[in-house]
Amino acid sequence: MKLTKEFSKGLIKENPVFVMALGLCPTLAVTTSVQNAIGMGMAATFVLVFSNIFVSLVKNFIPEKIRIPSYIVIIASFVTIVDLTMNAFLPEIHKSLGLFIPLIVVNCIILGRAEAFASKNNTISSIFDGLGMGLGFTLALIVIGGIRELLGAGQFFGMNVMSAGYKPILIAILAPGAFLVMGLLMGLMNLTKRK
Amino acid sequence: MKYYLKLGFILLLIGAIASGVLALINSYTEPIIENNKLKTEEEARSLVLPQAEIFEKKSIAMERAESKPDPLKIQKETSGSNEFVFYIGKNNQQEIVGYTFVAKKYGYSSTIETMVGVNPDLSVNKIKIINQAETPGLGANCEEESFTSQFSQLTKAELQVDKDGGQIQSLTGATISSRAITNSIKEGLNNIETALNNQNKKEVAE
Amino acid sequence: MELIGRIFALAIATIFVHNFVLARFLGLCPYIGVSKKLDSALGMGMAVIFVMTLASTFTWLIQTFVLVPLGLEFLQTIAFILTIASLVQLVEMVIQKTAPALYKALGVYLPLITTNCAVLGVAILNINEELNFIGAILNGLFAGLGFTLVLVLMAGIRERLDKAEVPASMKGMPIAMIVAGSMALAFLGFSGLNI
Repeated sequence: MKLTKEFSKGLIKENPVFVMALGLCPTLAVTTSVQNAIGMGMAATFVLVFSNIFVSLVKNFIPEKIRIPSYIVIIASFVTIVDLTMNAFLPEIHKSLGLFIPLIVVNCIILGRAEAFASKNNTISSIFDGLGMGLGFTLALIVIGGIRELLGAGQFFGMNVMSAGYKPILIAILAPGAFLVMGLLMGLMNLTKRK
Repeated sequence: MKYYLKLGFILLLIGAIASGVLALINSYTEPIIENNKLKTEEEARSLVLPQAEIFEKKSIAMERAESKPDPLKIQKETSGSNEFVFYIGKNNQQEIVGYTFVAKKYGYSSTIETMVGVNPDLSVNKIKIINQAETPGLGANCEEESFTSQFSQLTKAELQVDKDGGQIQSLTGATISSRAITNSIKEGLNNIETALNNQNKKEVAE
Repeated sequence: MELIGRIFALAIATIFVHNFVLARFLGLCPYIGVSKKLDSALGMGMAVIFVMTLASTFTWLIQTFVLVPLGLEFLQTIAFILTIASLVQLVEMVIQKTAPALYKALGVYLPLITTNCAVLGVAILNINEELNFIGAILNGLFAGLGFTLVLVLMAGIRERLDKAEVPASMKGMPIAMIVAGSMALAFLGFSGLNI
């Protein structure tokens, strides 16, 4: 019961992007298509789950003073693993995510969960927490990526879904569109919460 | 003091373990990444020059590049950068059916690499963009067939974007990317022409 | 003379055309988080300029004289983030000892900079774009200036926004995003600059 709660809180109630506004850089930068959104979401989820596992395992051996640098090394190692394996097996997605794969290191969600959750809880709960937060992040990326791809390219997941006469609203896929879509979605979240 | 030594030691230990694991993974993925790159190039090569069965690698030393070196970028060793590599495509009767080369130029936000297939009369046969990270929605559309198909059968003199008075329609909002691709192909054709001329001269001299 | 022209071109490109926040989506967390007051935005901006320039310098040296000669490029992410983290720590200690007044102004922002992805971003971009030593230092400086410019502009707008009538559900983050989107739209105008 408790574990499902650890898992599900990240999806909606404490969604890292919409509710806590963490990890904004990759959220806005890579959501030009659903495919990129899924790639980024999965990469971050992998790092999140494994860094949570390792942090919760070694938390008792690491002195307070060097806590943060140690966590950063652990996170950076998993980021490099993701970077290398994606480059080897998913070169297309790796290329379009580019700089934002190494930048997962400084994604506040990951260090934030290591610090706020994994360093205080046991390994099993940490896994579920990481999974929930990671999937919540992925979900948010897919929603934003879906809207931007649909409006800006008339496609969904690379398939044409709009009628032939649809003229894409190019701005949605460009930089300003990222901010506008994000702002409107956050406003919408607030509106539904108030009711 | 002793306490700080211990802290340093623990950090060092974590770092060492991490580096070890990463070295292991790197040694596994590095050849795959290398291989992928070669495979993409090979596939692109047969795509832009389908009539060729065998490709023969040629590299020639070029005269100094026309563009001045950028004072803010790393200057490559002079031996490597003045080399131009291209492939001669032959059919199974050993006749030359064309050439391929990779055209490279910095576009708007990335170096765009284009695989170019060239007919024996030095007009473009077909091109394929093999590497780019231009703006999604604008420059990134250069991979689309509607853009790349414009290049087919054009000769060196015809390679110019519309903004410069040519007939290649630039991508919407991405003149810089379009121009980079067009000009890089043009430079490559120039290089092949020089290379072939030099070769002919040499043969006559012999 | 040619060098000066190139430096000018790099400045325009990094500050306006490829602005770190509005075109590259780097450093969004402080951009949204520390832009409520004008003077704190200025303080943060100064600290970022300082750290970005230093980080560009040191990471370039580490990449060129340690990682590449030893064939350890795959350790780039770990090495860079640790360099930045220690650099920030060092700067904090030095400023605290030598210039207490400056420390009072910048102190609170310094720890936040470690996880500012614009700093790690500029370090990696310097290497990806094959800049030389001088190019890397200047790129760090200009990237910081570009960041500070839009941060201060944003703070100026948000101070006035406080007095504006904003729909309740759009207050705070959502309207900040919309403002950022409008700014990105304006900066899109620079992308036609051919330099």
